[in-house]
Amino acid sequence: MSRNTLVEGLAALGPAERRLLKSAFGAALAALALGVLWGAATALARAGFLDLGPLAGYRALTGHAVSIFFYWLYFAQAGLLLALAAAYGAPGRGVAWRPLAWAGVSLMTAGFAANLYAVTSGMPLLYDAPPELAGAPSAEAAAFYAGYLLLAAGLFCVAAAGVATALRPLAAGAEWPVVSFACCAWAGLLMVSAIAAAYAFLPAALWALGLGALPADHATRWHILFHNMHYLPLMATVLLWYALVEAMTGVKSIFGARFSKIVFALYLVFVPPTSLYHMFLEPDLAQSVRVLGSLLSLFISVPTVMVFLVIVSSLEVHARSAGARGLFGWIRMLPWANPAMSAIGFAVLNLALGGALSFVLIQEKLASLLSDTFFVPGYFHFLTVGTVTLTFLAALVYALPPLTGCALWRPGVLRGLPHLATAGLALFGTAGVAAGYLGVPRRVLDVAYDGAAPAAWPILMGIVGIGGLLMSAAILAYALALAANLLPGAARLRVALPEVQWGGPVAAAARAWTGPLAVLVLVGITVGFTMLAFELMRALPLAASGAIGH
Amino acid sequence: MKQDSWLFLAVFAVWAALAIVYATVPMFAMPGYAVVWGWGALVFLGLALAVHRAAKRKAGDTQSMSRGDADVVG
Repeated sequence: MSRNTLVEGLAALGPAERRLLKSAFGAALAALALGVLWGAATALARAGFLDLGPLAGYRALTGHAVSIFFYWLYFAQAGLLLALAAAYGAPGRGVAWRPLAWAGVSLMTAGFAANLYAVTSGMPLLYDAPPELAGAPSAEAAAFYAGYLLLAAGLFCVAAAGVATALRPLAAGAEWPVVSFACCAWAGLLMVSAIAAAYAFLPAALWALGLGALPADHATRWHILFHNMHYLPLMATVLLWYALVEAMTGVKSIFGARFSKIVFALYLVFVPPTSLYHMFLEPDLAQSVRVLGSLLSLFISVPTVMVFLVIVSSLEVHARSAGARGLFGWIRMLPWANPAMSAIGFAVLNLALGGALSFVLIQEKLASLLSDTFFVPGYFHFLTVGTVTLTFLAALVYALPPLTGCALWRPGVLRGLPHLATAGLALFGTAGVAAGYLGVPRRVLDVAYDGAAPAAWPILMGIVGIGGLLMSAAILAYALALAANLLPGAARLRVALPEVQWGGPVAAAARAWTGPLAVLVLVGITVGFTMLAFELMRALPLAASGAIGH
Repeated sequence: MKQDSWLFLAVFAVWAALAIVYATVPMFAMPGYAVVWGWGALVFLGLALAVHRAAKRKAGDTQSMSRGDADVVG
């Protein structure tokens, strides 16, 4: 494999494959832009800067969550799975089972249209769509559930084509690349999630069509799907880091292909045992299961931390062999002028913050107190926007120019946008988490309560609004800049992105300290956030119980 | 190549075991989880078999190529 396997593999794809991938990426960017606009409107309404009224406000919230959490993340994953599988497989032969892949993307597009129709014309159901919110069966509710089912069917088809494509080098007698193996694992989890989505929404769809009873266990079915949806984008994220770091620096894992494959397989091993924490708010869950769930949930980040260690240690050792000095000198030598490097750098930082905060939420004693507060959107935007979205955008920085043959729009500007997005996210997340600790409800648009709310609530939500606006502006600008690459009039001249070449042999004396040190810091931050949460909760004069989780 | 299919088999084993636990142990009693982890186990079993088959086809092709080379040399 050459150093630029990704870029050269994508450039070698035929016109039919390019059309397929560009369609998936175009749909992903459209979903992202639409979802960001709805998100900005929601943030401004939550801050009291914009009066949307309850119906339009909940439509904006539902449209934001559906467009981003389901369609941006899954159109992007569909395109990136096929792109990686084809580029690292046999690029000359393109995507295997291409008609099935086209059927998948078409089904996903039909699902998006159905969901948009339902969001704009029916009762806004929020993204988990409990049937009780719809009130009674209706065409709009049926369209909403049908949209999710079409998305699930489309994902299954795309994932099957991804597996067939990723297996090609193995069948051709070549060494099976780590990225191809990981694509196969990723596609497997996509298939399982498609099955989980069908399991979650089929009873509700039948009910909305008047063909079945109101599903009593919708919340439980949703939690099963939701658990898979936690893991999937993160698995895609670390795989993309692995591929992009190789493209930008030429560095491969110093631990070897076999160890990397084991780490990616661990993602799949850890999915089912760590799922129990979603059930903590079920009142009839046995205490022993709660304790077991708390213990098992500690393992949720093990695979992500392991991939992080593999990548960071490999980079550090190669950088030291290339002349890096001091504990952090190697970090300065990374190609930060490359927009993808800048996006990934901030993605790592945001993952550390979001990951540490997530450990607060999944503890049994705190889950019931925090799950219905603004703590939840406060922490998960560090993951959905700060980590996954920035990484997917970084991947498109590398994927789109070879597919379109066009230059990237102003790489210097794109390099700066993750700074702005993270600054907005820092305001949104910090104020949001603080608001959650102080009890601001999660799904109430107007938290003023006619002036009866604590004085800190409107101030914190004002900061959330400002942060949300900055974050939205940065992500929207990034999405539009990348979408410009897909337009027929884009400049044809391709400009090489700044990269380094550290792919050679490493010095025997080179050591890597930063990765293990970063993990220690992460554990310290997690303990700190948890202690803070317990202290704040002890200070509040309230007790909580509930029946639904996040 | 053997390791690749064994890794997917290990995933199948974990998912299948969890599905059985959720379906049969009264303390857990989560039939919904059992259904999804059970289907998931089948997906990963299918992947393990697909990987094994692809690797076996490659081994078969390599063997027949080696025999062909020997014939030419002979």
